[in-house]
Amino acid sequence: MKAMDTNQPIAPNRKPGVCISWEDKRRELGEIKGDAELVRKIWEDVDALGYVYIWHCLVSF
Amino acid sequence: MDMEQRYQDRLKRYTTALRNGKPDMIPIRPFVAEFAAKYAGFTCQEVTHDFNKAFEAARKCAADFDWDAVVGNMVYVWTGLTQAIGLKYYGVPGIDVPPNTGFQYREPSEDNAHMREDEYPLLIEDPTGFLFNVWLPRVSADVVAPGAPATFRNNLSFLKGGMAMMNYFGGFVTQAAQLRAESGTPGAIAGILKAPLDILGDKLRGYMGLTMDLLVRRDEVLKACEALMPHLLWVALSGADVEKNVPITIWMHRGCVPFVSKDVFDQIYWPTLKPIIEEIWAKGHQVLFYAEGDWGAHLDAFSELPEGSIIYHVDRGDIFETHRKIGHKFCLSGGIPNYLLGVGTPDEVRGYCKKVIDGVARDGGYVMDASAIIQDDAQIENVRAMTDFTREYGVY
Repeated sequence: MKAMDTNQPIAPNRKPGVCISWEDKRRELGEIKGDAELVRKIWEDVDALGYVYIWHCLVSF
Repeated sequence: MDMEQRYQDRLKRYTTALRNGKPDMIPIRPFVAEFAAKYAGFTCQEVTHDFNKAFEAARKCAADFDWDAVVGNMVYVWTGLTQAIGLKYYGVPGIDVPPNTGFQYREPSEDNAHMREDEYPLLIEDPTGFLFNVWLPRVSADVVAPGAPATFRNNLSFLKGGMAMMNYFGGFVTQAAQLRAESGTPGAIAGILKAPLDILGDKLRGYMGLTMDLLVRRDEVLKACEALMPHLLWVALSGADVEKNVPITIWMHRGCVPFVSKDVFDQIYWPTLKPIIEEIWAKGHQVLFYAEGDWGAHLDAFSELPEGSIIYHVDRGDIFETHRKIGHKFCLSGGIPNYLLGVGTPDEVRGYCKKVIDGVARDGGYVMDASAIIQDDAQIENVRAMTDFTREYGVY
């Protein structure tokens, strides 16, 4: 499988609360052997911290 | 008195007024920033650069004054964090400005705006990507743009900045618990909101650039504001009070007449802010309109909002006219001039408080506070006079 270019910065339609969407990350991972829902939830929870960081830089500081 | 009982009594008093009701007495909720430093014996540098000292100063004020709600740290900007990120737009007390001057915000010249006039399409297409890839490298001395060689300072900026932000925000949780336990004082607000047009002017295009854009590329300004809306809503809700007691605060800057024309307010500022407020209200949260300056030209627009959805804080506006126009729908706060707290006498402060209480607070729906954030020019005896008079005269 061709590796994705993870340096591509622009993701049109990036939703609030999201830096790198689960859909994009999921494509990188290939087969998930365990609990895919757990992987998704933790990915999204931690990804949102990056979103909080940049938007609070803008709004709060 | 038992601190938990005091906390519950104050919270009930405060939230009853916020919902435009009549509590047992007028709640007092001064937004004390550098004043707290002065009262606690700290310099502006100390409370701006060491947030634990700012927290300590806020707790000392809460313990010594009979206030019903306070902000954990109203100075808010922690310059240890802004330095970790490498933000260039702050004048830091003790570094860029004297240690007893409050922090300053440095707006860049039009030619050096954090967002260029031809970059609206990039912002509109992907606001979050724009912030990471274009805006942050410009406002930070350490962050490099994508494509540039990675640097030690770039990598460290994200690591230190992220950890510092978590450390600081986590500190507010501890601060709230300490305020509750030590002085029975509730937090006054939770969550932050800015209007899309204000963000565009404050942090992206600059006020001068934005006013030119409103003349030559108004459609793009509107589209940019629309693109920012869901993100600003998300940020506001992410910090909201889970108990839904205290409001999210919108800090209102330069979206009013005469900073912009009434047309701009009617066609851009308000249509891109009102739906955010309505959505927040639909989720059960009030919004405190911290209307810095004079927003009296727009009271009719604000009155379109659902009853009780906002609390309207009066700074330079006419609080009596404001009460006449929107007081039947919304709680008001503020209205005690800061200049009076700075250069007036305690008798003059008491007299003005009486005038405001008589004029707008007779039926409840009012929270005592100064017009604007209280800085270190306020005299301690005047803040005490505002507090003590309200406590004595403001009993229903």
